[in-house]
Amino acid sequence: MNPSLRWFALFGTLAILVAVPWIAPATWVQFGISTLMLATLAQSWSIIGGYTGYASFGGSVFYGLGSYGTAIAMIEYHLPFGVGLILGALVAVTFAVLIGLPVLRLRGHYFAIATLALAQVVPAIVSNLDIAGRNIGLILPLLRNDALFYESALGLLVITTLSIWYISRSRFGFGLMAIRENEDAAAAMGVNTTLYKTLAFAIAALFSALSGGIHAYWITYIDPGGEFDITLNVKMIIMAVFGGPGSVLGPIAGAFLLSGVSEILSFKISSVASLFFGLVIVIAVVLMPRGLADLWHRYKKLGLHYFSENIRENRV
Amino acid sequence: MVLLWQVLANGILLGGLYALMALGLALVWGVLNIVNLAHGAFIMLGAYVCYYLFTVFHVDPFAALPAAMVVLFVVGYSLQRNVLNLIIRAPMFNTLLLTFGFEVVLTNLAQMIFSADYRTINPSYAGANFNLFGATIPLARILAFTTGLLLTSCLWFFLLKARLGRAIRATAQNLIAARLYGVETRKIYAITFGLGAALAGAAGDLYGLVSQINPYIGGSLTAKSFAICIIGGLQNPLGVVVGGIFLGVVESLTALYLGPTYTDVASFGILVLVLVLRPTGLLGRTA
Amino acid sequence: MNLILEASNLVKRFQGLVALKHVSFGLMRGEIMGLVGPNGAGKTTLINLISGSLNPTNGEIIFEGNILQQPAFRRARLGIARTFQIAKPFSGMSALENVAIAALFGSEGQQRTMHHARQFAQQWLDFVGLAHRSSMRADSLGGPDRKRLELAKSLAMKPKLLLLDEVMAGLNQTEIDEVITIIKKMRDQGISILVVEHVMKAIHALCDRVLVLHHGQNIAIGKPSQVLNEPAVVEAYLGKKHA
Repeated sequence: MNPSLRWFALFGTLAILVAVPWIAPATWVQFGISTLMLATLAQSWSIIGGYTGYASFGGSVFYGLGSYGTAIAMIEYHLPFGVGLILGALVAVTFAVLIGLPVLRLRGHYFAIATLALAQVVPAIVSNLDIAGRNIGLILPLLRNDALFYESALGLLVITTLSIWYISRSRFGFGLMAIRENEDAAAAMGVNTTLYKTLAFAIAALFSALSGGIHAYWITYIDPGGEFDITLNVKMIIMAVFGGPGSVLGPIAGAFLLSGVSEILSFKISSVASLFFGLVIVIAVVLMPRGLADLWHRYKKLGLHYFSENIRENRV
Repeated sequence: MVLLWQVLANGILLGGLYALMALGLALVWGVLNIVNLAHGAFIMLGAYVCYYLFTVFHVDPFAALPAAMVVLFVVGYSLQRNVLNLIIRAPMFNTLLLTFGFEVVLTNLAQMIFSADYRTINPSYAGANFNLFGATIPLARILAFTTGLLLTSCLWFFLLKARLGRAIRATAQNLIAARLYGVETRKIYAITFGLGAALAGAAGDLYGLVSQINPYIGGSLTAKSFAICIIGGLQNPLGVVVGGIFLGVVESLTALYLGPTYTDVASFGILVLVLVLRPTGLLGRTA
Repeated sequence: MNLILEASNLVKRFQGLVALKHVSFGLMRGEIMGLVGPNGAGKTTLINLISGSLNPTNGEIIFEGNILQQPAFRRARLGIARTFQIAKPFSGMSALENVAIAALFGSEGQQRTMHHARQFAQQWLDFVGLAHRSSMRADSLGGPDRKRLELAKSLAMKPKLLLLDEVMAGLNQTEIDEVITIIKKMRDQGISILVVEHVMKAIHALCDRVLVLHHGQNIAIGKPSQVLNEPAVVEAYLGKKHA
C-alpha cells in the first residue's frame, strides 16, 4: 500500500471515528467507548510487554488505581474531573515506580507471576479500605454525556498512539527494544536498563490509569471487582499480541477486531464471548505468534505457508 | 489458646491439600519449564468429575479419586501432545499465553455444561469430627490431608526410583543427552504434563470434599499454587509441602487476627515479597 | 599514566568455587594482550569483572587511573566495550540497527542524533566488511558475519578498551586471517585490546604480551614466544607428562 494511500486511510478512519456519536446509534457509541478504552490498554501493554519484552499481567492494577484515584478525588475532595484524572494517574505512576524497581529485576516467568500476584493483592487491599468504599464500592457524580466520554476516550487513544509512534523512533525506544532482544548485551552497550524499564513501566501505567479514570466517571458506580477485573489483563494482552506487539497500530487493530467479533457473538450467550477469546488466544499463539502486523507484512510473500512456517519454527 | 491451636490445625490440614494442589504445577514447571496457567482449571475439572460420580453413581470421593486422575491425565496428555508441543520452542511468553487460553476455554466450557451454580459434595461422613487436644478436626479434612501427603510421597518415589520417573528427570536436566540415551522426548513431555494434570485432578477431587465448587475457582487456585511453588521452592517435592502448609497456616492466622477479607492480601503479598527478596523460595539456595 | 587498565589482587568467589585467585596485571595503552588458559581457568570471569557484569569478591580494577565500581552500562559509556562468547545479536533488528544502538549508547552516544547514529553505524559496518548486509535481519546472518557484527557494535561504542571473548571460535583459516586484520586496524585506531583466545595462531599474530590463567591464577605473563613454551604453561594445557 503506497504511503499517501496509507495516510488517507488513517485520517479517513480517524474522521469517521470522531463522527461516531453523531452518526451512529447510542449502543454503538457505548461499544465504541469500551473498545477505545481497551485499545488504549492494549497500547499501554505494548509499551512494557511488546517493546521492552517484559510481559506484565498486572495492567489491571494501574487501570483500577486510576479509576479509584479519580473517584476518590471527585467524591471525597470535590475536585473537578480533570484534576481527579491527574491525581489518579499520579497515584498509578508512583506505584508503578515504587513497585517496578524491585519487580523489574525479575526475568521471564517470575516477572509475569509477580505482576499476576500484584493483580490479586491490590484489589484485595482496596476492598479493605474505607475511603474506597470497601467491597461495596463508590458512586461518582452523575454525568450523562456519552459523546463527551467517547471523544475523551478517543482523544486518549490518539495521544497514547502518538506517544508510541514517537517512542518507536527515539533513542528511548531503541533502548527498550535492545533490552527486549538481549538485556545483558544492552547493558554492556551502555543502556541504563533499570531506568529504561522503570520508565516504560511507568508510561504504561500512566495511560492505563487515565483510561481507568475516564471509565470511572463514565459508568458512575465502581467496585473493586469491576475496576481491578483480572480478565482485563487477558484482553489487553491478547489484543496487543494478536494485533502485533511492538507495532504502532497493531494493538488498535487487535482491539477493534476482537471486540467486534466478541460483541457479535455475545448476542446469544455471554460465555460464548469469553470462550471465543480463549479459542482466539490458542489459535493465534500457535498459528500467528507475531500478530496481525507480521501477518499483514509476510502473508503477501508466503500465503498460507505463513501459518505452517510458524508451526515448523516452534514445535519440538 | 485453644482457639489458636484450632486455627493452626485448620491451617495445617488445609496446607496438606494445598501441597497436593501445587504438586502438579511444580512437576510441569520443574521438568518442562512450562508455567501452566490452566492448572486451576484442571483442579476444577477434577472436582466436577468427583461431583458427578458422587451425585449420579453414588461413588465415594476417595474411590472416585483414581477416576478423576485418569480423566485429567487424558486431558493433559492430549493438550500437550497436540497443542503445546507445537510451540515448545517458542519464547516462554507464548506458552504462558497458550495455557492462559486453555484456562479461558476450559472455564467457559465448564460454565456452559455445568452452569455457574455452586455445588457441594456431601458424603455420609461429611459432618463427622473428632477431638484432638481441644481442636475439632473434621474427618473429611484429615482424610484429605493424609491422601494429599501420600500422593506427594508417591510422586517423589516415582521420580526417584521408577524407570519412567528417572527418564522424566533426565529429560528435565538435559534434553540432548536424554535423546541420545533413547528417551523419546515428545512422549515424555506429554506424559509429564498428563501427570501434572492428573495430580491436579486428584487435588480437585479432594477439594470438592472441603469446599464448594463452581467453574470459576480455577483462577485463584492457579494463583495459590504459584504462591506455594515459589514460597516452597521448586528444588524438590518437599518444597510444595512446606509451601502448602506455610500458606495454609498463614491464611488461617490472617483470617483469625485480621479478618477473612485479608487472606488474599496476606497470601499474595507474601508471594510478591518472596519473589522480590528470595526467588528460590524458603528452601532454595540463595542466588 | 601509561597503564589503561590495572587489576590488583582480584578474587572472585561463587558459592563454593573460587574462580579467580589474586590475579594482578597491567595493560598498557595501545597494547594488545592475550588472555589464555585451559577451559575453566577463569578467563571469561575476568572479562565479566572488567566489563561490570560481575563484581569482585576482593581486589580492585583500575581504569585510566580510577577504581571501577560503576554498573556495566556506565563502564560502557566510559569506554569499555566487550564481545560475548556466544554472539547473540538483537535478532529482530537489522545489522545496521544493531550497530546503531551501540552508536546511541556507547561512549559518545548521548550527543548523537538518531540520524547521525545510523550514519556512524554504517561506517563501522564498512570497516568490518558488512556494508552489503546492513539491512538484513541480524538473526539471518551466518556465524562469521555475526562475529563481524559484534566487532562493528563494539567499535561503534568508540571504546578505549576492548575485551574480545573468543571471537575466533568457529571460524576457518581465511576468516581468522580477516578478523586478525580487523583487530590490527583497531589497534591502529588507538584502542587497547584484551583478547581471550584458544586459537594460538591469532595470539602469536596479534599479541604484544600474553597472560596465562590456570585454575584462576596468573601463572605467567610475557611475550607469546617466551610464555607459551614455559613448562608451567605447557603443563597447564597438556598435563604433567608433557612438560
